Amino acid sequence: AFLVPAGIIACFLPLSDASSFVVLYIVTSVYFSGVMVRLMLVLAPAACIMSGIALSEAFDVFTRSIKFQLPGVSGNSQNDAGDASSGSVVTQKTDKNEDSVKERPSKKNKKKEKENVEKASIKSQIEKRLLVLPLEASVIAILLLVLLGAFYVVHCVWAAAEAYSAPSIVLTSYSHDGLHVFDDFREAYAWLRHNTEVDDKVASWWDYGYQTTAMANRTVIVDNNTWNNTHIATVGTAMSSPEKAAWEIFNSLDVKYVLVVFGGLVGYSSDDINKFLWMVRIGGGVFPHIKEPDYLRDGQYRIDSQATPTMLNCLMYKLSYYRFVETDGKGFDRVRQTEIGKKYFKLTHFEEVFTTHHWMVRIYKLKPPKNRIRGKAKKSKSKASSTTTSRRSGTRKKNPWH
Amino acid sequence: MEGLLRLRLALVFSVVAHLSLLVRSSSLSSPELQIVNAERRIDLTSHIVRVYLTLKVENAGTSPASEILLAFPPTQVDRIALVKAAATVGKKKKKKSHLPLDVNPIALPVAPNGTKHFAISLSNPLGVGESETLEVFYVLTHSLEPFPVEISQSESQLVHYHDSAIILSPYLIKQQITVIKTPSTKVESFTKVELTDRAGTEIKYGPYDERPPYSFSPVIVHFENNNPFAVVEELVREVEISHWGSLQITEHYKLVNAGARHKGIFSRVEYQSRQSLSGVSSFKHLLARLPPRVHSAYYRDDIGNISSSHLRTDSRKSEMEIEPRYPLFGGWKATFVIGYGLPLQDFLFESPDGRRYLNFSFGCPLAETVVDKLTIKVVLPEGSQNPSAVVPFPVEQHLETSYSYLDVIGRTVVVLEKENVVPEHNSPFQVYYNFNPIFMLAEPLMLASAFFLFFVAYVAYLHIDLSIRK
Repeated sequence: AFLVPAGIIACFLPLSDASSFVVLYIVTSVYFSGVMVRLMLVLAPAACIMSGIALSEAFDVFTRSIKFQLPGVSGNSQNDAGDASSGSVVTQKTDKNEDSVKERPSKKNKKKEKENVEKASIKSQIEKRLLVLPLEASVIAILLLVLLGAFYVVHCVWAAAEAYSAPSIVLTSYSHDGLHVFDDFREAYAWLRHNTEVDDKVASWWDYGYQTTAMANRTVIVDNNTWNNTHIATVGTAMSSPEKAAWEIFNSLDVKYVLVVFGGLVGYSSDDINKFLWMVRIGGGVFPHIKEPDYLRDGQYRIDSQATPTMLNCLMYKLSYYRFVETDGKGFDRVRQTEIGKKYFKLTHFEEVFTTHHWMVRIYKLKPPKNRIRGKAKKSKSKASSTTTSRRSGTRKKNPWH
Repeated sequence: MEGLLRLRLALVFSVVAHLSLLVRSSSLSSPELQIVNAERRIDLTSHIVRVYLTLKVENAGTSPASEILLAFPPTQVDRIALVKAAATVGKKKKKKSHLPLDVNPIALPVAPNGTKHFAISLSNPLGVGESETLEVFYVLTHSLEPFPVEISQSESQLVHYHDSAIILSPYLIKQQITVIKTPSTKVESFTKVELTDRAGTEIKYGPYDERPPYSFSPVIVHFENNNPFAVVEELVREVEISHWGSLQITEHYKLVNAGARHKGIFSRVEYQSRQSLSGVSSFKHLLARLPPRVHSAYYRDDIGNISSSHLRTDSRKSEMEIEPRYPLFGGWKATFVIGYGLPLQDFLFESPDGRRYLNFSFGCPLAETVVDKLTIKVVLPEGSQNPSAVVPFPVEQHLETSYSYLDVIGRTVVVLEKENVVPEHNSPFQVYYNFNPIFMLAEPLMLASAFFLFFVAYVAYLHIDLSIRK
């Protein structure tokens, strides 16, 4: 991997069409990988080619040195302009008269029997000063390069096993007393599968849609297919609205359970509060009453005491931090590294039905509407007519409660 | 005329006398048993009700008795899981030994109020005037009804138990006493009939004298029982015998907490912080007792592997402590699969008449659980004939065929089904079958011949010249 700059330089020495293509490729892929880390996939072949070029040039020099200094090896012509074929397709060097070339060097140019194919004594122009190092130095250098390659393989295997193999549904962490397994996602899905009715619908952000359908076997509102932006915006609006408005939206979608992912107790950073900005933006894109500046303080989404009142009243905040302060007395969110803003509050339209072991998944149920509504009584407050006035005032504004 | 009439009268009178004699002789030849002393201890500490009955029976009739009847009210009979009886032999208190006796349900033509009976067959008939002491033990399941039916997370679980203060029996009982043991001292209420007393965790009804047969005095005890009401609704155990050296067992469980249903919210913070007050009737762990030398144990469900389990092995037993993904509150369900392998030499033996038999334990390995429907499938190796099962209690049996790897004719499966299984049913049972040892070679020969034929075909193909012209 660190041979890449050496490879770039090696590409410049005989700059041809092919080598300049590779240089341009690697420069643009480095830029794009810097912008979005997932594009590192594009950088991978370019880096491999570059380091391959560098390695083959290095082996070239060393094996040539060894061959020159070993007596009895055939064909020590000084004009051994052989370099060309590295492991890649780069060097073509078709210019100049190479008709005298008997056979093209094969790919195995790291071996010592490289019959000098290009006699080309005519190529005086390309006759570069060939590097010849002392015998012992080049032998040691070849050994070191081979060892380097071996260790690199071991390192890659370890990195792939540790860093790239996280299944992202079972999280593990190493502590002083061994391996801790955070199996909260499957715990929540198993609970939903066994302890809810078959027809109950679960609303969550779309990242968990396929998982809920597959493991919990319940209908979801939006899933990873994300083909209906308005539908996702409806869920996003509901998560960003205060409790009552959110209840109305979910009730109109016939939702029974709401699922939120919360990483504040254990420090899991891909939770719904970190994804909240997308809920606000997508919701605001379709429903204009959700305005992003309402949730921002100094251009940032905050949940501590400096948060905006809209943020502290929205459903996502309440469902994530409901009774969170009772765990440690202060309500310290490990992901945002701050104490939460509103610590003691009650839920009026939702009730908590399940929270997993490490608080990573929290499931709430929509409370059924009340039978009687205590509407705003009119000026003539009489006990006998209070119910009729409330009903009348209830029907005047849009009453969602039946 | 008069002579004829007197003759007829005499005939009628003699016939009537004979008939009355006959009737009286039949009543004279029936045994009249009396229970001199009865002591009943009802153990309500777990969710499985265990009753220990000590009866001293005396034969006050005129002919020896070979059977003693036990009576149960119809509501209890459906829930009886097992009834065991033993006769105590030996005069001294320290030297009592127990002979197990057969108990079978019996239907009597005359049964007041639908009482059902069980008959204990005595090994020696009880002679006239003799008395014998019997110990009876029976187990009732699903007899504790949660009341209130739904509780919230912070409440404790209270249940009702219905029974009678007077032991129901077809015989006259001269003296009896009933003691009920509750798990804790929290008893909400209990029916007070005459001579009722309560001391600590024991409620005593009695002693009562001279109660006529079939007398019944219903009482209800309302008490707190927070033991885990772990009920397995359905359990399917598959035991696969492989003559290559191992026994593979797979068990599919559908577990439910059959206590008072959980209503309302579940607050994780309360559950974790106040563990002695919150969720007292829920359970998190279950213990499975497995035979020693178990290997390759796994614990998973539909979604995947469940990582919260511990297996501790020993030279005499293995214990697997499993923790379902979430704690089970009242009414919550969980399903999972437990599988493990056992060495074959511990369980497969050869009987003296040349048949092989598998000696394995019936029942559910989970401790203190009731299984509503248990199915055990013993998969015999291919080529077994004449399978038969010997089980110490009544089960339903039938045969099936299952196909597995490298099977041509299928493997015979002996299926045993039983309902209402309690931990006292964990006794060994045997499955006998004939197996010709030559069948062991069937599978390797099949594989070897398949590869052989393939290579032969390839060699032939290489050397056969199929061209039409030269």
